[in-house]
Amino acid sequence: MTAPPVLAVQDLRIEIAGQPVVDGVTFDIAAGETLAVVGESGCGKSMASLGIIRLLPDVARQSAGQIELEGARIDTLPERRMNPLRGGRIGMIFQEPVASLDPLMPVGKQIAEALALDGSIASADIRPRMLEMLERVGIDRPDLRAGQYPFELSGGMCQRIMIAMTMIRRPVLLIADEPTTALDVTIQKQILDLMAEMRRETGAAVMLITHDMGVVAESADRVAVMYAGRVVETGTVAQVFTRPRHPYSTMLLRTIPRLDGARKVALPAIPGAVPDIRSWPAGCRFNTRCPLATDQCRAAVPPLDPAGAPGHASACWHRDRIDTELAP
Amino acid sequence: MTAPIVSVRDLKVHFPIRKGLLGRASDHVRAVDGVSFDLHRGRTLAIVGESGSGKSTTGYAVMGMEQPTAGQVLIDGKDRATMTPAERHAVTRRLQIVFQDPASALNPRMKVRDCIAEPLEIHRIGTAASRAARVQELLDLVGLPASALDRLPREFSGGQKQRIVIARALALNPEVIVCDEAVSALDVSIQSQILNLLMELQARLGLAYLFISHDLSVVRHISDEIVVMHRGRVVESGPTDALFAETRDPYTQKLLAAVPRPEVR
Repeated sequence: MTAPPVLAVQDLRIEIAGQPVVDGVTFDIAAGETLAVVGESGCGKSMASLGIIRLLPDVARQSAGQIELEGARIDTLPERRMNPLRGGRIGMIFQEPVASLDPLMPVGKQIAEALALDGSIASADIRPRMLEMLERVGIDRPDLRAGQYPFELSGGMCQRIMIAMTMIRRPVLLIADEPTTALDVTIQKQILDLMAEMRRETGAAVMLITHDMGVVAESADRVAVMYAGRVVETGTVAQVFTRPRHPYSTMLLRTIPRLDGARKVALPAIPGAVPDIRSWPAGCRFNTRCPLATDQCRAAVPPLDPAGAPGHASACWHRDRIDTELAP
Repeated sequence: MTAPIVSVRDLKVHFPIRKGLLGRASDHVRAVDGVSFDLHRGRTLAIVGESGSGKSTTGYAVMGMEQPTAGQVLIDGKDRATMTPAERHAVTRRLQIVFQDPASALNPRMKVRDCIAEPLEIHRIGTAASRAARVQELLDLVGLPASALDRLPREFSGGQKQRIVIARALALNPEVIVCDEAVSALDVSIQSQILNLLMELQARLGLAYLFISHDLSVVRHISDEIVVMHRGRVVESGPTDALFAETRDPYTQKLLAAVPRPEVR
């Protein structure tokens, strides 16, 4: 018998004032695997991650579905048992490293504090472990840096501190919400490399939330593409990038300017904008922007069905028309 | 080749670091430290670099929003520093700027109609009727429906807000638009729409763009020439095709190697 996935999300639904913002989302992540959840603003990718760790804003609530961590449901746990999981078996990294750290506490102390929460480590071992971890995440002169405050460090260094603080507890699941979006491109590469290294070392499952298809291709094994609260396509990075089976992913991949593409020509744009949450269309929510849309798309929600290769699935009534009618 | 519309000559913008009670400048941040380039009519020159490279400060100096510590910004061959107030006023009409975040660039209490008409009013151009007609024309030019006129900025998506900002920037028939990370905050599917709009407007109106961005893929797509900045200095520059075919500078190479590519290796 195989071990259950580290994270299994089944039919997750999150509502704000009766309006679903995450609408029946299903995915799982195995140990040592990175799943990228990709989509544009308002697609529900961050809300889904906040639902998993149960840190939803007050106005939002989970209204259906279940969430399992290593085979055990966590969405029904009482708060006193959920709280130790955060920062423990579930690590979290967010977009703004400087905002995630306590501005009034030296960074070394913050890492030490996280480690002390573990409860299993002798207090004399905490400082050496903290310094060792700082070195592991590529901070030079750990003894000096440990005494500094977040404002004395660059954004990239603060994100390294966040990674140290999170990974020192050896979480089984790491949720990283746009971890490199606020960073310069050369720093982004260093942080993504560091995250990959940490994942290999600890065997953690990683849920990487991003809007950047480049980041997906470089650092994920599998990808779930979200649009207007739903997963519209999922598969390995190779499957989705080489032969997307949903018009949204197909068009999204084509609209990005590339370093090897034709220059100074009109980019193949996706018409219109992501619909406002209050006016999500019936049926397939991409139907208002999709060149393949028919009455069927406007009437019925397409299920996330197998799309050829094993592990590849998409939610489209007309996926067999993509190759011929959406040819580049 | 014709004379450049904007010429930047050995531009330096230094900011004093003030310390102590008397606030004497103890040192300087050399935000821009010897930058030169020429921008020609109808062309796009991109300044690319990471945060702190001085790319935006260079753009502000071109706009006259920062004063050069040394060097010159020439508009049509005329140094900004020696212009009379009247000349400077005339130049403001010819150069406009579009920022990254359209939401904070628009007055939330002003209707779209008034947002776009404001530059015309400030420069006392036309009658009320001719201004209304011009606003309508501008709205059309950026691809927004006439129904947008009486609505407030918050009723629009990020991409549409940036279209409103671009319409306002076009109101005075400028020759140069400084685009300071103008597509960086937009969603991927909207970013390409705005890039297409900028290219289309350039072809129709003969605009020159000073396109400031950190995104090498975007810059490569839209520009004719590139200036790569690092710590206030130009590390490499040249025609876009040539520069991407062969990068010489180690920093440019590092920057290029770090760009995550949306493709399977």
